Amino acid sequence: MPLPLYYFLSITAVNILLSWALYLPYRVAHLHFITVANMAISGYTAAWLVMTLNVPFAWALLAGFAMGGIVGWLVSLFIGDAPTFAVVIVGFTFIFIARTVIENLKAVGGTMGIFGLPNIGGSPDTHRWTIMAILAGLLLLVGFLLHRFDHSRLGRAASAVFVDKELAASLGVDIRGLGMLLQTVSCTIAGGAGVLYGFIYKSFHLDFFTFALVGIAMTIIFVGGYATQWGTVVLAPILYGVPLLFPPSIQEWRIVIYGALLVLVLVLKPEGFITRRFVFSIESFLSGSRKKRNIS
Amino acid sequence: MQVFIAQVINGLSLGSIYVLLVTGFNLLLLVAMIIHFSYPQVVVFSMYIAWVVLRLTGNNLLLGILAGVGSSIALNLVSAPLFQKVMSKRGEVDINSTMVLSMGIGMIITDVLSHSFNQGLPVAFPDSLSSNVPLLRVGLISVVSGQVWSLAVGIVAVACFFLLLYRTRAGRAFRAIAEDPNGARLVGIPILRTGLYSYALSGVLGGIIAVLLAMLLGSAYPGLGEQVAHKVLAVSIIAGLGNLAGGLVVGLLLGVLEAIVQGYVSGSWSNAIAFVIMLVVILVKPKGLFGTKL
Repeated sequence: MPLPLYYFLSITAVNILLSWALYLPYRVAHLHFITVANMAISGYTAAWLVMTLNVPFAWALLAGFAMGGIVGWLVSLFIGDAPTFAVVIVGFTFIFIARTVIENLKAVGGTMGIFGLPNIGGSPDTHRWTIMAILAGLLLLVGFLLHRFDHSRLGRAASAVFVDKELAASLGVDIRGLGMLLQTVSCTIAGGAGVLYGFIYKSFHLDFFTFALVGIAMTIIFVGGYATQWGTVVLAPILYGVPLLFPPSIQEWRIVIYGALLVLVLVLKPEGFITRRFVFSIESFLSGSRKKRNIS
Repeated sequence: MQVFIAQVINGLSLGSIYVLLVTGFNLLLLVAMIIHFSYPQVVVFSMYIAWVVLRLTGNNLLLGILAGVGSSIALNLVSAPLFQKVMSKRGEVDINSTMVLSMGIGMIITDVLSHSFNQGLPVAFPDSLSSNVPLLRVGLISVVSGQVWSLAVGIVAVACFFLLLYRTRAGRAFRAIAEDPNGARLVGIPILRTGLYSYALSGVLGGIIAVLLAMLLGSAYPGLGEQVAHKVLAVSIIAGLGNLAGGLVVGLLLGVLEAIVQGYVSGSWSNAIAFVIMLVVILVKPKGLFGTKL
């Protein structure tokens, strides 16, 4: 597989996973930026396991998922039903703390990071195909679970919480439990995405996990459409891919363009490009044509 | 003991800036009903404009300060229609979407600063502004003019702000909207115009903060706004969103805490310790120590 294509596909896949990890708790109006900190924590942990203890990659990846989930669950015990702004600031604070701790830990390379991670499966080509296969599998699995969630009672409960917390509580929705569940699952996804993110480049550096990453994920969600999972899928490749077509002098203004796009969409089209109504109309069109086919 | 006293003095001057920032932030929250997360980024942008004007005018302090204050007011007023539009589209006040909008504005400001000014390198203010002349030196304790100025101007600015809020007609209008927007509309308070005043007033505060930060730090860098923004939101949450008096107490406490930690712990860890303490408080009391006023 050509390197540019590999990087485009794999980074796009990681961006989708990260955006889904943010999308999930946002269903109950929680902007859970701790996911970015979790990517770093899980990624560094997995890299340390592989490099220092010679743990096989598969186990390190599982440890990354577990680490993300545990951190997410522990934090969710406190902020499972907290207001949005408190969740935001906990996320940002966590990013700061995680960055400071990692840059001071010699075991994970400090400010230099971890370099020279081994190829999975021996050769560079096998490494790339393995990473791509894992990412594709994860996208399908997480995408399917999100789809099921959105069409379940839990998904409807989350929508109720998003619109009116008090009303949802009076209807019997366990707001704290739902918030904890979504935050924990979100952090678990982010943990795995973090491990894969580093193994794509075969190195880990703190510059991978900056506030710019938060900005990118936020732009993907809000411009694509925060009310469904599909906006993320459509916008992640466009946002990451289109700037690559421009000369470097324009590419370096990427974040300004993302920011401007975010502001414009919030002002002109608050629900983003792929709205829930749009998804419903496509779903009903598809089910209609399926029914017609069954009848004929 | 001398280190402790020196750091407390440092902390009070830093804390007075946090208090001003939280006050401006809370004013927008209470009256305009937005979470202007990137308000500190607006302040840092004003610092950069002041730096440019100082360079162009051969360090003319008056023009530099006016440019800082003017750019802060202008930027706040320019962003006002965007926030209003987002809120009107939502049908009712949605502070979460205003926070995301503000984050977008912050992304733009930070990246413009890191590309367009001084090649992204930190900018240094002239000695005439960031004067670090020791006014008092007893052993390890050294009080420099920048600290005294920032503390004094901070106290005067907060006092003037509270005077305006509690002793003037405009202040009553601000408080009425903060208390009950619909009731305020019923008694004839122009909500939109008063909201715009709050943007302008927080712009004035932002300009003053920019000058004080330049005096206290002597330099600025693109990421400064981001770092301060998280602390301001954290202070505001710890105090209780919209709680002006709580913001005053917690802002000063954070300044002192940070300075004391910096006095005893090495550079990179000191910030983390301040953040850990903030995190613990937010986790234990996510609705604030003094209660929200929303």
